[in-house]
Amino acid sequence: MKQKIFIISGLVLLIAVVVIMFADLFSSKQADQANPYDYKMGEIRKSDSTRSAYSEQMIISPPLAEMHALACGAGDRIFVAGKDTLLIYDQPGHSAGRFLFNGTASCMTLDKKGNIYIGMQDHVEIFDPSGKLIKKWKTFSDESLITGIAVSDSGVFLADFGKKIVYRCSPDGRLINRIGEKDPQKNIPGFIIPSPYFDLALGKKGELWVANTGRHSLEQFSNDGTLNSAWGEANMAVEGFCGCCNPSHFALLSDGSFVTSEKGIERVKIYSPRGKFECVVAPPTAFIEGTRGLDLAVDSKDRIIVLDPEKKQLRIFVKK
Amino acid sequence: MRKTNLVPALLAFTTLFPKTVFAIQRFPKPEFESAYTQPQTQIPLPRGEFMAYLDVAVLLIALSVVTWLVLKKRSRLWVFAMSIFSLGYFGFYREGCVCSIGAIQNVSLALFDSTFVLPLSVILFFILPLLFTLFFGRTFCAAVCPFGAIQDLFAFKPQALGSRLNTVLGIIPYLYLGLAVLFAATGTDFIICRYDPFVGIFRFTASFGMFLFTGILLLSGIFIARPYCRFLCPYGVLLNWTSRFSRSHLTITPKECIQCRLCENSCPYDAIDIPVTTKSPESSPVMVKKMMMMVLIVPVLVIAFGYAGSRMQDTLAGVDPRVKLAKEVLSGMRDAGSGMRDAGYKMQDAGYKMQDAGYKMRDAGYKMRDAGYKMRDESFEIKAFKASGKTESQVYSEASAVLKKFYIGGWLFGGFIGLAIALMIGGRMLPVYRADYVTNKGRCFSCARCVDYCPVKS
Repeated sequence: MKQKIFIISGLVLLIAVVVIMFADLFSSKQADQANPYDYKMGEIRKSDSTRSAYSEQMIISPPLAEMHALACGAGDRIFVAGKDTLLIYDQPGHSAGRFLFNGTASCMTLDKKGNIYIGMQDHVEIFDPSGKLIKKWKTFSDESLITGIAVSDSGVFLADFGKKIVYRCSPDGRLINRIGEKDPQKNIPGFIIPSPYFDLALGKKGELWVANTGRHSLEQFSNDGTLNSAWGEANMAVEGFCGCCNPSHFALLSDGSFVTSEKGIERVKIYSPRGKFECVVAPPTAFIEGTRGLDLAVDSKDRIIVLDPEKKQLRIFVKK
Repeated sequence: MRKTNLVPALLAFTTLFPKTVFAIQRFPKPEFESAYTQPQTQIPLPRGEFMAYLDVAVLLIALSVVTWLVLKKRSRLWVFAMSIFSLGYFGFYREGCVCSIGAIQNVSLALFDSTFVLPLSVILFFILPLLFTLFFGRTFCAAVCPFGAIQDLFAFKPQALGSRLNTVLGIIPYLYLGLAVLFAATGTDFIICRYDPFVGIFRFTASFGMFLFTGILLLSGIFIARPYCRFLCPYGVLLNWTSRFSRSHLTITPKECIQCRLCENSCPYDAIDIPVTTKSPESSPVMVKKMMMMVLIVPVLVIAFGYAGSRMQDTLAGVDPRVKLAKEVLSGMRDAGSGMRDAGYKMQDAGYKMQDAGYKMRDAGYKMRDAGYKMRDESFEIKAFKASGKTESQVYSEASAVLKKFYIGGWLFGGFIGLAIALMIGGRMLPVYRADYVTNKGRCFSCARCVDYCPVKS
């Protein structure tokens, strides 16, 4: 009896093997079509809530079809611009002004006098606080696409994605010098900007920071173009920047810390003035997957304003 | 002492020897203007010529040593030790490739495709075990084949199956061999490699499915010793035939059998034929009748199975990726045709009813969504075909040529199975007379287990 059980068990298993083999061979069922090399972002998009130190305080929904440019002005007024229109909001989020222009804004900043500098794709237009056009600069080049702008006493700094270069100009549009051109002798690696997100910002002392997105780093230059320092780490973990080119935008807090935003894995994070990861402001789950162009601004109270072009919102985050 | 050190010394040498010495750049590196240093893309080179012949040399030495151990030393312990060596070298070190079992496919493809280059080492891997078997029995199965060695480790409770069950299950290797040759010769697939149950273990890369498959096979091997060797191995069919003609096959006893019956149940593979001492000479008319039946049965079965095989042309050819692709393309065309017909109906309806623009927009939206679904659901094969620039007619003509091959191949495959069955029936019809306990030359793996049971020593 025992022997029979052994034989039957053995036979059942053996027949199972044969059946599996032949069934698989002649099955018309498609083989597993899952791509083993598929770049699965699901795991990376998961965020550790303990590393989040900010909460969303307010949402403003500007009635704009397109939103591309964000800036913060005196009195913590928020300026947002898209196609043909600029809207202004006061600190509580109420509408405080509106004016029209011709063209599509790609970036924006304000000077001490409240004049508004708008990067218009291939040139710059300057408006006074009432919205009157003061100056319209000449086009830099047919290939130019101005994606980052900042102004200080040293001049107007423009990040040109088309030419992969930073221009330092006078307020009337005259080119003073170029910054960031590849120069191995001066240890300047040059900008590697694979996608049209090329941002720059000025620190508290007017020092220029530029996002070299292809190198996943932020680089600091003197006005004459000397590269002084850089930080950034290519890393799939939350501490670094990943994908082809990140961070897409950044801004500086009052203590010199950096606020960065990324595409691919949409998130906003804080780094210390020395470039050490500190915390998450908004995790990937806070954004619609595929969101790009999360422009950033910081007001005098270090509130972080995020332009969310997918949700068409201005989202304001404050420290918990 | 020197002899006992040989096996571990060889194992250590083969394990420590580096697998790949050089590597080549597969694609030119893209140029990035960054400080990023491209890692060198490396693919292992084909095994160097010297190493391939080293494998052949190891095979030849292993065959010689095992043959000597089986026939002269008659030591089960040493045969077992050699099987552990083979498991280490041909299994885990060489990762089960090249193996004599899989070489069937290379030889078959080379016979039918003149563009396929068959390395000499593969030919030798195919021929050497057959040659040794022709002279000395299946000493390759005894302790050189890693598949046999790994299964031997699991034969804890081997049970005798009886001759009928052995005969019926014995058909499976013929089916497997026939299909393996057919698919290899038509350039369809190397199914022996595809369903190799042990390679995933040897390489430590088995998927869960394959691990389960191997696990089931090894579990069955607890009760049915060496299930793969006995009831699946296609190379075993060739070894079985060849071994029947072997001149110096292992014998249970070195001298005369004393009929002690100690060896009767010693073989876990049912490969000991017990004595049939009662002579039952059948009358001449009965013998003539049986012979006539045989003469009739062989061609009838060959033709019947051959016809059945040719009728399975579509099923057999369905395994071929070129035919699969043609079917997929055709099915896509049918869907498109139905879609166009439906679109026609829709346009007609639109004409009759003059539906408003909103509805049309909605329908267009649905169509785009459906088109999106279709794009998403397309298999990799269809995507690759679309990217290749091949025309549909090219795909169909390739598939048609393959189908023709399978028509002839189906006849040959079916005929082969018919012949195997006819010969099995014929074998059971022949009168048998045996005075002693003897090994069944076809089925015996020359493992020398029975030798230990025989009280007669040389």
